[in-house]
Amino acid sequence: MFNIDWSKVTWVEPPVMAREELRELKKGIDGSFRGFSREYGEFLEAFFHPLLIFLKWFQDLLVATPWPLLLLIIGGLAWLGSRSKWMVTGTIVAFLFIGYLDMWEDTMATLAIVSVATILCIAIGIPVGILMSRNDRVQATILPILDVMQTIPSFVYLIPVVMLLGIGKVPGLIAVMIYAIPPIVRLTNLGIRLVDKEVLEAADAFGSNSRQRLFDVQIPLALPNIFAGVNQTIMMALSMVVIAAMIGVPGLGVPVLRAVSNQYLALGMMNGLAIVAIAIIFDRVSQSYGKRLQKHREGGHGV
Amino acid sequence: MKTTFYTLAKGAAALATGALVMSSAANACGDVQMAEWNWASGELMANVDAFILENGYGCDVELVPGATTTTFASMNEKGQPDVAGELWINAVREPLFKAMDEGRLHAAVEGPITELGEGWWVTPAFLEKHPDLNTVEKVLERPDLFPDAEDPSKGAFIGCPAGWGCQLANANLFRAFKMADKGWVLVDPGSAAGLDGSMAKAAERGENWLGYYWAPTALIGKYNMQLLPFEVEFAGAENWDGCIVKAEQDCADPKPSAWTHSEVFTVITDDFKNAGGVAVEYFSKRIFPGAVMNAMLVYMADEQASGEDAAIAFLERHPDLWKAWVSEDAAKKIEAAL
Repeated sequence: MFNIDWSKVTWVEPPVMAREELRELKKGIDGSFRGFSREYGEFLEAFFHPLLIFLKWFQDLLVATPWPLLLLIIGGLAWLGSRSKWMVTGTIVAFLFIGYLDMWEDTMATLAIVSVATILCIAIGIPVGILMSRNDRVQATILPILDVMQTIPSFVYLIPVVMLLGIGKVPGLIAVMIYAIPPIVRLTNLGIRLVDKEVLEAADAFGSNSRQRLFDVQIPLALPNIFAGVNQTIMMALSMVVIAAMIGVPGLGVPVLRAVSNQYLALGMMNGLAIVAIAIIFDRVSQSYGKRLQKHREGGHGV
Repeated sequence: MKTTFYTLAKGAAALATGALVMSSAANACGDVQMAEWNWASGELMANVDAFILENGYGCDVELVPGATTTTFASMNEKGQPDVAGELWINAVREPLFKAMDEGRLHAAVEGPITELGEGWWVTPAFLEKHPDLNTVEKVLERPDLFPDAEDPSKGAFIGCPAGWGCQLANANLFRAFKMADKGWVLVDPGSAAGLDGSMAKAAERGENWLGYYWAPTALIGKYNMQLLPFEVEFAGAENWDGCIVKAEQDCADPKPSAWTHSEVFTVITDDFKNAGGVAVEYFSKRIFPGAVMNAMLVYMADEQASGEDAAIAFLERHPDLWKAWVSEDAAKKIEAAL
């Protein structure tokens, strides 16, 4: 394993593994992954199949919904989130524009995968973040994993994901989640850890058990951070739309890829801006919802 | 299309310039500049040529890295480099034929690799199980054998990634063969990695796979993928160039057609043709069988070998092939150099 070709080592050439062995090592890793894929690929595919059904159903639902109804729903959600008529008007105008420029179907596909990815990230990320905040050892284990997930180039894990699960929505969703889940985990952990120690002492003094302490004190006080995490997760999921298109996920990323390889300036711009529009809407609505939630809480504290 | 893909994938290539002095001596061919392509088969071929010319004929070979369009432009305008071993001519068809008519460039050999080209492929396991389904038309009647992951009631046909030239051709042929009515969906694999991955996964797991690919490539060789012949003939250049390769709105009525014939030439400059002597003769005989080329590409991918390593491996493994390309005298010298 650690055979070094000393004849090649100089002050400028660091010790390097013998060429033959390095090749064998790479081939060995590739080979064992192939074996794993052959052995467990079908099981994993079956495992993720319900997710595929759900994603497909959700996308079909979005596409099949009459557009006025959908605009009403989206406008309603924007209102619920932001309580601002400017926000609602802007959202509806943006979606009308998207429809007018013939990007409706792709936008719906993107919305489907981004919403499902966000929901799954929140469902997995918040509990993991809570776990991390309660135990330093868990935190020390998970933080480096999050670092890897955020920095490793997505192309690196696209290959094994495709070998295991093929191309399509599920591998795309997994690729998106690998990239989008770290912020929500990090910020949940951070938010809970930042809760004032004196507040916790007060909670203890009132005799709250650890469950009450977590759900009635720590999480509510950590909400601004958790919301920042949700917000970042949505943004990162949207930014992965183009990468996901590289493994056959339908949506706004597909025309962007087409535009890149053919130098279609307008096509790329329009679809890129559609992604930006969705991102801004998601961002503003979730931000103002988080803020409103916080205002109400702060009012309760009498600050 | 292969050419489109490579043209897109490459960066701008640096082309060496410089005057070329040809020796007129019978056996010494002097300095030769050869294009070394940035894809595996082109790299291998350039290195085989270089080794044979250097050791067999005493040429001084310089390999010039480049991509199809830039290298061709330089050959056409400057007469440099002298030889383009594997020129996919679809990308440069018009200027190439013009230059050949005017005598500036010549084809030393048309088709230096056999059995190359694009088309629709299936796994060998599939053909073994269903020996009767041996043409595109017959397979198209059985979408049930290729269930789509998202909708198993349909058959999945893996097309070409968005943005490649072949995407349009596949989409139009999909319409021409009325595949939607027959129960197929056209799957966009998204990228080269997606296309490769979906084929490799199916071949590894023994699943059925029908889709677009091209040869000579390592993946085709590695999984021994089988090209399905079309029953229909090539339905004419008018249908292909005027409709099949165009965007959907410019191709209202695509006719079913076999895939267009991909042509690869070994192109040499006029100067080289006149002064190259024995080397020109070598190029006119040097034809790689497709299966051998695919196997060498698998070797390159598996061993992560450079073009030079692969060229030596080729010369060692297939002496019967290359000895037919060179004179007896040269063969001895080459063998001694190995």
